[in-house]
Amino acid sequence: MDEARRWLERIRALPIPPRFRIMNVCGGHERTISMAGLRSLLPAGIELIPGPGCPVCVCPEEDIFQAIRLALDEKVTLVAFGDMLRVPVNGPRSEPRSLEEARAAGADVRPVASPMEAVRIARDTPGRETVFFAAGFETTMAPVAAMLAEGVPENLSILLSGRKTWPAVAMLLADGQKPGQQPGFDALIAPGHVSTIMGPEEWRFVPGQYGLPTAVAGFQNASLLAAIYSALRQAQSGRIFLDNCYANVAHPGGNPQAQALLDQVMTVGDANWRGIGTIAGSGFALQPAYGAQDARRRFPDCSDPQRRRAGEMPPGCACAQVVLGQIYPNQCPLYGRACQPRHPIGPCMVSDEGACRIWWATGVREPVSPESVSSVESP
Amino acid sequence: MHDDRYIQLAHGNGGRRMRELIASLFVRHFGDSLNTQRDAAPLPDISGDLMITTDSFTVNPLEFPGGNIGSLAVHGTLNDLAVAGAEPRYLTVNALIEEGFEIARLDRLIASLGDTAREAGVAIVAGDTKVVARGEGGGLYLVTTGIGTRVPRLNLGLEHIEPGDRLLVSGPIGDHGIAVMLAREQFGLSGSLTSDAACVLPLTRALHALPGLRFMRDPTRGGLATVTHEIREATGYGMSLEESAVPVRAPVKAVCEMLGYDPYYLACEGRVVAVVSEQDAEKALALWRALPQGADAAIIGTIDHKTGPVVLTTSLGGQRVLDELEDDPLPRIC
Ligand code: SF4
Repeated sequence: MDEARRWLERIRALPIPPRFRIMNVCGGHERTISMAGLRSLLPAGIELIPGPGCPVCVCPEEDIFQAIRLALDEKVTLVAFGDMLRVPVNGPRSEPRSLEEARAAGADVRPVASPMEAVRIARDTPGRETVFFAAGFETTMAPVAAMLAEGVPENLSILLSGRKTWPAVAMLLADGQKPGQQPGFDALIAPGHVSTIMGPEEWRFVPGQYGLPTAVAGFQNASLLAAIYSALRQAQSGRIFLDNCYANVAHPGGNPQAQALLDQVMTVGDANWRGIGTIAGSGFALQPAYGAQDARRRFPDCSDPQRRRAGEMPPGCACAQVVLGQIYPNQCPLYGRACQPRHPIGPCMVSDEGACRIWWATGVREPVSPESVSSVESP
Repeated sequence: MHDDRYIQLAHGNGGRRMRELIASLFVRHFGDSLNTQRDAAPLPDISGDLMITTDSFTVNPLEFPGGNIGSLAVHGTLNDLAVAGAEPRYLTVNALIEEGFEIARLDRLIASLGDTAREAGVAIVAGDTKVVARGEGGGLYLVTTGIGTRVPRLNLGLEHIEPGDRLLVSGPIGDHGIAVMLAREQFGLSGSLTSDAACVLPLTRALHALPGLRFMRDPTRGGLATVTHEIREATGYGMSLEESAVPVRAPVKAVCEMLGYDPYYLACEGRVVAVVSEQDAEKALALWRALPQGADAAIIGTIDHKTGPVVLTTSLGGQRVLDELEDDPLPRIC
């Protein structure tokens, strides 16, 4: 902790620009920031913006809908990461609108914490179809790929909803270059766990192409503060580069074994992000060789193409803007009013990695009007 | 086809098998206090204000480093009496066993239950067993009732808490929660961490003589944060906690960091949270620290003078609210 304190002192000793917005793209980072109360400790002018870092929040509505349909099939046990169970889809009240509601209606839905558990459940119930609804970023896709490469029981199939993180940042930056637009942040904290697998180099385009200070950070206060310091120093000195403040874990080149497994099992293509739209090259799908394990092929009836157009955020929920870092969670008109963890409206209030949930759980109670962006109330 | 190594439905049918199971297993481990020939047991040598508590136990896995469902059932029940200011005396035990459960394992768990009760000086006076069909139970469930007597002149309760009172914890938090999680092996993690499951009687007895002792609770499900919310709910006062004062073992911290858990919400099974007047807080701390179980005890916070949230000052000097637990804590997936 002393190391964290030292970084904090170093940051406080720097000249701080009037406004310096640092975006993070990992729910784990946002949790550390909020749980350590970093916003209240940093000099005025530094803004820490939660960006696209919550895989549950961006999981397309139609994927959750498919999972619910599968769960309601009597022949199927549906397993999913616990966070996914409460994410709502849009639909009439008379129908189950989340996996949790499906479970209450009698569906066999089981929360798991790792792919290994999904395999175990399938193995324990031979003859019964088990569908693993696997939503997540590279950090989740790597173990899912390893699981498939190793071979899974015949009765296990995967409803894959995997996303890559960097294309979302690339999209924000590309959009920011359009006439009259701005990227909305001045520096980036790149995700440590994703870099551990994919290699920090993935983030080189941010300083290289867009000239924004960038630093990879882990989940400890010290690593995050070091990254914040690095971003400020880079901006001040004009020497913009990709710094690695998680170097003891995120090695150059990442984890080649995990990458090889990802290549072996999955392909990458354009994919829909809930409320945001299609992002090029951002989605994982199963390689044809693993098609037999694809739940969408095994249960072609689970999707409803009619719905695809309806598959957005619940009415009034500003989750998409929150995810893109365009507004802070408490600038959503529903924050803390209609939407609380007890009765969440959007996915950002459901997941432990969602910014709305994290802000609420760490004590941000005051909603802020959308107009007062500059005087945002921080935890 | 009967395989004598496993529990069968016949072990719960009231007939020979059941009688034999009770005699060969439960009575053997529970001792003479359990008289199976009576439908109800007298409670000899008991006087004063009686106190009673009841609890049910499910844990996965049934055996974990530092304990098992048997020892946990005794500790959990006695601890509830202990923190309420009682001396536990008698225990009843109901066992709901799933068909197919290995008898050798049942024997091990029930032996541990018996030993734990004996060590704590409580007698098991009544019990019952039921066998549920395969697939209808998680192996073994235990339901216990504990009876004790209130320590004379000791009057503890949330209603006695006053602004300025101090909050103490008797040892590191989260050991049990993380130890059980690691024992489940769902994350491919393993470690040498042991559950803190223990009888807290030495800790609670140590504070009985302090006039400033207001309230005690064992932070089990929901952890320390949940106890602070119970206090807040009942008293209306806010609370300030110091993160740097709260003892957390390094391996617990490491797992929390890795999986995104918050140690304040993790279960302990052998710790006590006490609220003590400002004057007596240091005395209470010294009394606890003099015990092996309380070597890492700490004063961790203060009851505020006004209504408000439970505010944690982080080790960096930042502040955050410890919110009430909403759902079960989940590991992070990013
Ligand atoms: S507060 Fe609720 S409704 Fe608003 S953006 Fe967050 S999740 Fe959506």
